[in-house]
Amino acid sequence: MTINATLTTCPYCGTGCNFYLLADNGQLTGVAPAADHPVSRGQLCVKGWNAHAFVDHPARLTQPLIRRGGEFQPAAWDDALDLVHSRLSRLAAQHGPDSLMFFSSAKVSNEENYLLMKLARAGYGTNNIDHCARLCHASTVTGLAETLGSGAMTNSLSCFDVTELILVIGSNTTEQHPLIGSRILQAVERGARLIVADGRRIRLAQHADLHLRGTNGSDVALLCGMARVILDEGLEDRAFIESRCENFDAFRTSLAAFDLQRVAALTGLGEEEIRAAARLYAGAERAMIVYAMGITQHSHGVDNVRAVSNLALLTGNLGRPGTGINPLRGQNNVQGACDMGALPNVYTGYQKVEDSLIRRKFSAAWGTRLPEIPGMMATHAIEAAAQGKIKGMLILGENPMLSEANQGLVKRALEKLEFLAVIDIFPTETAQLATLVLPAACYAERDGSYTSTERRVQRGRQAVAPPGEARTDWQILCALLQRCGLAADYADPAAIMDEIATLTPSYGGISYARLEGDSVQWPCPDAGHPGTPILHRAQCTRGKGRFSPLSYRPSVELPDASYPLLLNTGRSYFHWHTGSMTRRSHLLEREEHEVQLEIHPEDALALKINPRQMVQVRSRRGCISARALLTERVPRGQVFLPFHFAEGAANALTNNVLDPEAGIPEFKVCAVRVTPC
Amino acid sequence: MLKTLDLPALRQLLCAIAAEFELRVPVQPAPGMRLLAPWPVAEIALFGPPLQPKPTAAFFPQTQTLLTLGADASVELPSPPVRPLALFGLARADLQGIAFLDRFFSAPPADDVYQRLRRDALLIGLSGNCGTERKFLPLAGGHCDFELIAQGTGWWGRAHTPRGAHWLRELPAAEGADLTWLNEKSAQLIDEPQQLLARAAKLLVQERVPEEFWREIAARCILCCGCNQVCPTCNCFCVEDQLRGTNVERRRVWDSCQLDAFMREASGHNPLGTEALRTRRRIFHKLVADPQRWGEYGCVACGRCDAACPTGIGIFALCEQLVARYS
Ligand code: SF4
Ligand code: SF4
Ligand code: SF4
Repeated sequence: MTINATLTTCPYCGTGCNFYLLADNGQLTGVAPAADHPVSRGQLCVKGWNAHAFVDHPARLTQPLIRRGGEFQPAAWDDALDLVHSRLSRLAAQHGPDSLMFFSSAKVSNEENYLLMKLARAGYGTNNIDHCARLCHASTVTGLAETLGSGAMTNSLSCFDVTELILVIGSNTTEQHPLIGSRILQAVERGARLIVADGRRIRLAQHADLHLRGTNGSDVALLCGMARVILDEGLEDRAFIESRCENFDAFRTSLAAFDLQRVAALTGLGEEEIRAAARLYAGAERAMIVYAMGITQHSHGVDNVRAVSNLALLTGNLGRPGTGINPLRGQNNVQGACDMGALPNVYTGYQKVEDSLIRRKFSAAWGTRLPEIPGMMATHAIEAAAQGKIKGMLILGENPMLSEANQGLVKRALEKLEFLAVIDIFPTETAQLATLVLPAACYAERDGSYTSTERRVQRGRQAVAPPGEARTDWQILCALLQRCGLAADYADPAAIMDEIATLTPSYGGISYARLEGDSVQWPCPDAGHPGTPILHRAQCTRGKGRFSPLSYRPSVELPDASYPLLLNTGRSYFHWHTGSMTRRSHLLEREEHEVQLEIHPEDALALKINPRQMVQVRSRRGCISARALLTERVPRGQVFLPFHFAEGAANALTNNVLDPEAGIPEFKVCAVRVTPC
Repeated sequence: MLKTLDLPALRQLLCAIAAEFELRVPVQPAPGMRLLAPWPVAEIALFGPPLQPKPTAAFFPQTQTLLTLGADASVELPSPPVRPLALFGLARADLQGIAFLDRFFSAPPADDVYQRLRRDALLIGLSGNCGTERKFLPLAGGHCDFELIAQGTGWWGRAHTPRGAHWLRELPAAEGADLTWLNEKSAQLIDEPQQLLARAAKLLVQERVPEEFWREIAARCILCCGCNQVCPTCNCFCVEDQLRGTNVERRRVWDSCQLDAFMREASGHNPLGTEALRTRRRIFHKLVADPQRWGEYGCVACGRCDAACPTGIGIFALCEQLVARYS
């Protein structure tokens, strides 16, 4: 009997917990949290505790599959890889490289994201590469890059231990970043104040000094209203504004439109509540803003982020311990996937593809010409595929059939493709539509590095062998790079990180040798650099912090007579995104095995819906069935659906209207009608 | 009679045991982390924090195959280990935890999957100056074949079973060794947490803890299940069947009474349908129901749940609040 324990990074949320995977005779038997790790501190959430459970599930993909005559048939690796390359290069030759689209994944390592973006750009000559950050924090990457110069969480998780006040807006932290949520609870326990702005009565709301239950989609109004109160009452940080910010006057002028009466009307909140929130926030010496999808997933997501940024700048809550603008990144490597340039407009470290000097640097390193025009966003690529403009796609570890807005459109788009290759660990709903499926190793079966929400770069380590013939993503991508005639003879992921470090200033000092000891938070420009727990200390990354004048834009599809309820969507605590892993983890699936629609008891009564009754939920785009969960967690007029369930896909209903700058869909607001089945 | 060992003698003893058993000993892969690893190891972690995962996991792991059903109606049981297990480095609380599970899994109907691993296993306690930074841990005083009591630069060996005596037989006697003082020190250490549990248990039995308290505690529970996962006396599991080719593999998986579906019925009705009720139940089970059934608390005061709880409501933190407020 052999027994081993392998230290690795949790594959679920972006908190970045570490644990030991326990294996007996090559089979995972459980998980033990890492006691000395600065994030986990010997603790995990329920998903972390069950992170071993799906790894040897019998549904794992174990051999390459090629669709022949409508049926998937097993194929040899070389044949499958040859087919991917020949089909993609033929489409590129016939229709131009921009007829291809590459979806990378926030679930694969930094090295694998780097290789896929290299493959798209250097191998097939297109900047059409993106990943699911488009669906979660695209607004942050765009918004904070503009106002501060960096789209990442400004502070560290350890800041929760020293802050005086936390404003949580649009983040159900105890369920979605549980070990950050627990830090917030601990902070409250030691006396920190808590403001929660969320239409739903989330767990944190029970502990809040103030719970603002505003209407979904009215955040710009709320945040600008708070800013207005702060200025009207002289609570702003004058010195900070003068020495560290720009564009203040324009911002101040724009606030004229946000008098409290109007803000109260737009948000559905009382004027006193808004005033109290503003005073509390501005009154704290050190205040943190924490936000997530409730801010970003709107057709005005970037404006929401700007409004958050304004509030922090106005009160000087930046660049110090216990302050900052703290977008919580969802996936365990969504920060890393962005850092690695799995985005249409930047290479690694947010170096712009339009910048000829940067392009020349990457050209020289990779030994090939590179495309100049920024590529297509994932959400636009789905639209383009539906119109027949994108002809070929390679999707690595993503499941847009369940994760993108408006499933009907996504299905039409994927079905219309001339060639779709999917690399994944399970036969997902997206893989079912592919021409070819390649079996990949999961997190427990590969080495790599991941970057957590607090910019902490840390190692994932192989604990067991991949099933059957499955290969690691980096090996698969190297084989494709070689077919494109590019050098890709990396001995291991460490060698790939060495290449990343030479091309990426913020990762310049990161190497596997360094990650063996403590993890490190970027920017870390050289080997001697200690890493950067807090950004924007003496000045912002862009120099001055930039105030953004804003105006209010309502959500695009609001309830009306035909579709009278507002549908909010998101994750539940026990499942992860499209469920391919958690729904194959026994304890998690046992806990929540069907899609439930949260509906307020009074709305249910009016609609003659009984507790636990099956209901139909219909929007202008689709219709699903769900079980009614009568709860005051949602306010009247709003219903909530998690998006994990293929058999009741929330995204069959959601509206694919996009933020004009960030291309993020409005997952948090659309109109639906609910009827008993 | 007490025996004496130095490090070379200890290694020699473990080598001899490893020839007959599947031996596991503590190692320290990182500061703050101590776990049981298969012998031989480069360095034995002879002192340090409590073992993680809990040593009971050697017999009752988080995921465990129970049987495999073939398409031909055959039933295949997991093969017993080639050699029985020997676990070295178990603290008093760990041994009490194993004793608790032994009793639970041997109560009719006996659990043969547990027995298969547990039967013939050799348990070796470690006590004395073996905690974090060599802090003193109470003597085991039983529940193992023999224990090693860390003192000075070596150990005293104390047999608790004939098998234990057999393994210690060739070691020299510890001349003049006297356990009186160590026993007293141990008793003090054991007594303090017991007193707290006893006070809390009394208040529970007297029904002096209002609903409100449980609602407040439950509001802080983020349902991580960590308190159950790390607890050496927690023994609840759920059963999972997986179709693998033409076989069905049945496994058990650690469950958690903090979860809604733990008691949820197929109709959706749940006799423990609120977090407050479930939190109350977890504590009530350990401090009131277990003593009624087994004559002792379902808490061996190992301290693990307090370390694993992300929001600071492990059993001791909770009992402290409870006692402070209601006694
Ligand atoms: S909080 Fe996030 S990183 Fe930590 S265990 Fe849970 S899912 Fe994993
Ligand atoms: S201290 Fe906690 S983990 Fe340890 S036995 Fe008691 S209840 Fe279980
Ligand atoms: S460890 Fe704490 S937070 Fe986790 S389930 Fe137990 S009581 Fe709840």
